[in-house]
Amino acid sequence: MKPGHYTLLSFGTIAGILLLWYAVTALGLVKPFVLPSPGDLGSEFLVLMAKGYAQKPLSEHVLSSLARTFTGLGLGLAVGIPLGLVMGASRTVFAILSPIFSFMRPIPPIAFIPLMILYFGIGEFSKVFLIFLAALWYVVLNASAGVRAIPQDLLRAAQNLGLTQAQIFRHVIFWAALPQIMTGVKTATAISWAIVVAAELIAAQAGLGFMVMDATTFFRVPDVYIGIIIIGLIGLTLEGITRALEVSLLHWQGR
Amino acid sequence: MELRGVGKVFPPLHRGQAPVSALEDVDLAVAEREIVAVIGPSGCGKTTLLNLVAGFERPTAGTIRVGGRPLGPPGPDRSVIFQSPALFGWLTVEDNVVFGPRHRGEARGDFLPRARELIRAVGLEGWEGHSPYQLSGGMRQRVQLARALINRPRVLLMDEPFGALDAMTRARMQELVLRVVGVYHPTLLLVTHDVEEAILLSHRVYVMTKRPGRIKLTLTVPFAAPRSVDLVGSAEFAALKYSLLKSLLEEEMP
Repeated sequence: MKPGHYTLLSFGTIAGILLLWYAVTALGLVKPFVLPSPGDLGSEFLVLMAKGYAQKPLSEHVLSSLARTFTGLGLGLAVGIPLGLVMGASRTVFAILSPIFSFMRPIPPIAFIPLMILYFGIGEFSKVFLIFLAALWYVVLNASAGVRAIPQDLLRAAQNLGLTQAQIFRHVIFWAALPQIMTGVKTATAISWAIVVAAELIAAQAGLGFMVMDATTFFRVPDVYIGIIIIGLIGLTLEGITRALEVSLLHWQGR
Repeated sequence: MELRGVGKVFPPLHRGQAPVSALEDVDLAVAEREIVAVIGPSGCGKTTLLNLVAGFERPTAGTIRVGGRPLGPPGPDRSVIFQSPALFGWLTVEDNVVFGPRHRGEARGDFLPRARELIRAVGLEGWEGHSPYQLSGGMRQRVQLARALINRPRVLLMDEPFGALDAMTRARMQELVLRVVGVYHPTLLLVTHDVEEAILLSHRVYVMTKRPGRIKLTLTVPFAAPRSVDLVGSAEFAALKYSLLKSLLEEEMP
């Protein structure tokens, strides 16, 4: 298949969905309060841009979701990367901590939302803390697996060249584990975004998840769709950013 | 460098198994600027022997002295060339070569010119800024050679350095080692299963028995320097190769 054809087919899918959407609404096959037409969505978006939602500008909803995500994610990475590296390098630390992480890993983080609300209330802390924990799991597990996969010869080479343990950690272990650390960062970013929306659905005064939930309660279906589309677009953007970061940090892998 | 009565017993991997004796009563000496090869059947403990000298593992019997002193922890005085390239993939060729001296805090003005000279000596001029993934297997081993020689080691330790290369590249690498040896005169301990390589490169060859490895034969290689790969075609070479092979085959088939 030629590269041009590939793009054409992909754009064809998008165009097809939009066309189908337009057709079913224009022909009156579904009622506007069930599925608004593309045009309705466009004009409602302009209204949201001008007047905001629930006395708050649309940008505030977007920014509060993003702020929660980045705070929780940032803290998760700041703690998780060093912790994962130490866990991977030390059998003792691994033996002590891995039971916790192995048990927590298969539990979907959103299962903890009610507990967080019970312990910490519906304020910022419970959401940020949950994102922090979820990001921490993924980064720690990937970073420690990355360290354990480093070939023994590479560490011996560094030792042989006269590096101290601290230097080996900083100049060899970190870099050799970086590909897997980045896998963890990518997963953690996607999961964090999913969790912030889920947490806002349940309890929040602002944010895209709050907007979607609140609009559903009041049958403002166009606002529900707009919220979902913005959530999707931001998710795609976050994925693009982490992928670009991965490419720029790992160009030496030659992939 | 001197090994006296060196033995290595590994604790069993699983409970209930007997401990594994890899080396027994190994006596081996390498004089300054001498090149010594150790050959033996696979699994005879050749690599263990090298790991002991490098300091990655400790002997369970006997003593090892380098430069008259007992062995310390692994260090650049005993630089190792690994069978796997073991290069730092995130660094360029030049940064790989200067990795040791840079992190030991040596002066840039001192090690940079040496790095340039070594990179030229191993034929990698023009590749300084490339990443290891862009190099062929033979080129990676040449980077390792430069990365080891820059430390001016007392002993250079090679663990089947060309075992993973194709025959053509291996011959080229052996030629390169002969050339580099002619310039830098390192003291070299080479572990290999390749009889031709052992004769071509070394002044003396030690033959080991199968596990637990012991020294069963020492042979002096009479060829004068400078040597070239052409030696492989000579009758003397063939005779040496035959006697070493025969000694090895006794081990493979009891």
